[in-house]
Amino acid sequence: MKALYIASTGMAAQERNVEVISNNIANMRTTGYKRQRVEFQDLLYQAYRRAGSATSDQGTQAPVGIEIGSGVRTAATPRIMSQGPVAPTEKELDLGIRGEGYFAVQLPDGRTGYTRDGSFERDPSGLLVNVDGYQVQPGITIPDGATGIAISTDGIVQAYLGTDSTPTQLGQIQMYRFANKEGLESVGDNNFVETAASGAAQAGVPNTDGMGAVLQGYLESANVNAVTEIADLIAAQRAYEMNARVISGADEMLQATSQLR
Amino acid sequence: MENAQLISLSRQIALQRQMDVVANNMANIGTTGFKGSDILFEDYLMPVARDDLYAGSDRTLHFTQDFSTVHDMRAGAIEPTGNPLDVALMGDGFLTVETPDGPRFSRNGALQIDALGTLVDLNGNAVLGQSGPIRFDDSDVDITIGADGTVSSNNGTKGRLAVVEFADPQVLAREGDTYFSGPAGSAAVTTRVMQGSIERSNVSGVTELTTMIRVQRAYQALASLMQRQDELRTSAIQRLGETRA
Repeated sequence: MKALYIASTGMAAQERNVEVISNNIANMRTTGYKRQRVEFQDLLYQAYRRAGSATSDQGTQAPVGIEIGSGVRTAATPRIMSQGPVAPTEKELDLGIRGEGYFAVQLPDGRTGYTRDGSFERDPSGLLVNVDGYQVQPGITIPDGATGIAISTDGIVQAYLGTDSTPTQLGQIQMYRFANKEGLESVGDNNFVETAASGAAQAGVPNTDGMGAVLQGYLESANVNAVTEIADLIAAQRAYEMNARVISGADEMLQATSQLR
Repeated sequence: MENAQLISLSRQIALQRQMDVVANNMANIGTTGFKGSDILFEDYLMPVARDDLYAGSDRTLHFTQDFSTVHDMRAGAIEPTGNPLDVALMGDGFLTVETPDGPRFSRNGALQIDALGTLVDLNGNAVLGQSGPIRFDDSDVDITIGADGTVSSNNGTKGRLAVVEFADPQVLAREGDTYFSGPAGSAAVTTRVMQGSIERSNVSGVTELTTMIRVQRAYQALASLMQRQDELRTSAIQRLGETRA
């Protein structure tokens, strides 16, 4: 009887589902977090009798066969890369993205991390860095004594230096996008790195050619909706229980057999 | 005398298969675009050759035989996801997917774009448009999919999803990965495509659980029948074996 093993694949799948939901809920206050969901697929089928097999020597055929499946597997945990709500913070180096694109930061291992988390700071040398101190790419230096830092929707950083009456342009923030952003690999700390599936990063100027706009003084919140997650959690929990019920049902059937004399 | 046991056995084997089907449906209760199965039984008459001309004629015995599994093609619940590359099919149609083994049909509309810009499903197989795979380039944003399956972006129309319908969906065979294989279908007439939603599994937990309980009870009833039968035989052997001196 395969039912025991089939139901166990169902329980394992729902366990995975709860893991992903709990990660979404845990990160519902994480800046720039994108929720994940689990996609399941049915496993292969065993044909006990194939459709179209002969049922007599008169050439009659079975119109439908017997196919018994062998359970479920987790196919993917795609991220939902939809826009999260943009909340005002009134901090001049907080940047939110409205629309497509990612900021790039230089990770300590040499790779480039892509992120929607724009809570940037200045390091002691004046470089624009993220909260972990990783440098924003391409590097932008804000000299000491710069006041009135203004970042436009197309990423141009301007500030008043010393007693100047006109602002000086300090650089332009670039954004990056991907052919398949769902294919990005999450490396934690709100960063993604490119993979063969995502394709290479394409640099672009914010707010042009479909790239999103930079919003100074705003941060993008997680796109996690608490109500949806709790509803998914309840559904996953019930599905888990029902699969457990199938296991105990199959067990009782086997017990009935083993108690035969 | 063994007939009762053999008939019970044939029914028990069939019930085990039915339990497997229930378990598979239940395991896939969260699988996008999954369609449940149901199993049908028929009786198998024994003996095939019999002699009914005499008073004590051969009696017909009805054995249970599993006959076929059928696809339950009812629509699953449509769940909005807000993801522009999720599509749900309203109606009886299927998406056509190009796999290494040839075209396959699927109701799983969780689509992606791969590194080359091709519209693919979760297994990375191209989802076909009416004139081949649908490709996007780097400048395409704001992808919309219309009710008739037309895929377009800010750069205009990219293609139209090849949604097919089948006069009799029971001819389709299951392949796993929510794929069905079968003869070429006809272009969809009534099926509408809904962007930003996916179709959940059409398995209903309540129905499956009640089926399971029924299977379980029938199985237990047969087990106890077989036991009674055994007791009957034991006592027969004892009674008939008593020597009367």
